Amino acid sequence: MFSYPVMLADKVLHGTEKLTGTEIVSMTLIGLLVVFFALLILVAFLYCSGGFFKKTAAAPKAAPKKEAPKAAPAKAPVKAAVPKPAAPAAEDDSEVIAVIMAAISAMGAAEGKQYQLRSVRQVSRGGSGRSVWAQAGVLDATRPF
Amino acid sequence: MGGVLDFFTNTLGGLWSDSGLHALFADGGWKNLIMILVSFVFMYLAIAKGFEPLLLLPISFGMLLTNLPMAGLYHPDLWVLVDGHVNYGEVLKEGGLLDILYLGVKLQLYPPLIFLGIGCMTDFSPLIANPKSFLLGAAAQGGIFFTFVVAGLLGFTAAEAGSIAIIGGADGPTAIYVSTRLLTGGGAITTGNIALAAYTYMALVPIIQPPIMKALTSKKERSVKMEQLRTVSKTEKIIFPIAVTIIVSLLVPSAAPLVGMLMFGNLLKESGVAARLIDTAQNALMNIITIFLGVSVGATTKADQIINIKFGGVMLLGVIAFSLGTTCGLIFGKIMYKVTGGKVNPLIGSAGVSAVPMAARISQKVGAETDPTNFLLMHAMGPNVAGVIGSAVAAGVLLSVIG
Repeated sequence: MFSYPVMLADKVLHGTEKLTGTEIVSMTLIGLLVVFFALLILVAFLYCSGGFFKKTAAAPKAAPKKEAPKAAPAKAPVKAAVPKPAAPAAEDDSEVIAVIMAAISAMGAAEGKQYQLRSVRQVSRGGSGRSVWAQAGVLDATRPF
Repeated sequence: MGGVLDFFTNTLGGLWSDSGLHALFADGGWKNLIMILVSFVFMYLAIAKGFEPLLLLPISFGMLLTNLPMAGLYHPDLWVLVDGHVNYGEVLKEGGLLDILYLGVKLQLYPPLIFLGIGCMTDFSPLIANPKSFLLGAAAQGGIFFTFVVAGLLGFTAAEAGSIAIIGGADGPTAIYVSTRLLTGGGAITTGNIALAAYTYMALVPIIQPPIMKALTSKKERSVKMEQLRTVSKTEKIIFPIAVTIIVSLLVPSAAPLVGMLMFGNLLKESGVAARLIDTAQNALMNIITIFLGVSVGATTKADQIINIKFGGVMLLGVIAFSLGTTCGLIFGKIMYKVTGGKVNPLIGSAGVSAVPMAARISQKVGAETDPTNFLLMHAMGPNVAGVIGSAVAAGVLLSVIG
């Protein structure tokens, strides 16, 4: 016959009986303590495992740095092969700006209007630390809530 | 000719006395009429207002069916304990459709299966990325235990107080699971009462929580923008459900059915190798169980078990439980705000009362009212899913201590 596993040999409180003041206070304290204790263990576990995974995630990034000096004989080709990141980024921005401006001009041309690009300025991110596109994405995703 | 007339009138009289209409106007029939009207109110709330329609609609229809006199869909007398046990053979032999469906509630099958589906749909990444969220989920369970104090002082028995208190967990399946185990029949309070109160207040979370949140926090606290959460690796997501199952089950074994199934569902999701099982668990299975659970819980709301003073007490204590849970979460959120030097927005504390994802949405909404560029949703999801685990642990404690 099916029976529930025995959690405690004898239940502390009898379900059909009314509670005394001592029982109420004890139950409340024990309940809160057990819940906090169980979840604190989970917090500790997550911090430990999180630290471990952060380290393992960082390890592969460090590896190529160590290997770089070994490739010392091929100094010149390596320099030529690795372009400075800043310059292409600036070129890419100009290209993107030109394309966006072209799209705006095309829209304006249909209505007989002409637009002129005077300046491109970085807008404030409102302290959120996100890019404008990321901000717009988050806004779009959370608007229904 | 006279014989035919007698037969005709006798048959008509018999039909009338066997009809539900006759029973409705007989002694005590007015209670059924009130419950039918209450079921209409719940149907209105579900359909027109969109309050938890997936659960309120089955519950309200179950309420309607069980309160139609003479329909014989559910028989409370079959569930009365004889020598400490339900006579399941009698239930199978004499029971109506809703009695058979209620077997899943009585044997505690439905709540863990619902948790399986919830696990498949839950992303624990915000919690893994910010483990401190667990503390907010734990703090919000204060609503359960402080309500236990109030219920105890008001003279409810230990089983009744525990069942009422678990409403504060803001988790329907957990409330049903605990109350079915504790309320073994015969008392004035039934699982139906508890479920009705729990789901009513879960539907009313958007009305209950915001005033408390605004009253307990300053504008400066509500405006806190939290740092972006780190990305959680797939391996961490896979290890999490296994670790939680082992840790919680070893500490509080009676929470194992709920937490175990929740985490099993989550492991299916995160493993990425069981697409078919996830599809079944979070769609077909979840929907079937939701229908069975809702209709059969609704069926337990027989008029004579609902229209009494004790049910009024359950409803009153239910709203107190929700409010206390929200308050405890917010107070702990304020403590974390102070301790971290203003890096934690206390509003995410109120999401610790489970009610996934509604409570997290409320944190987002109230935060955005103060500063439209503040996005608390993902941060609030941490305490929110921690609340589900926390309320399951609290349920385990109640079941372990109250016999």
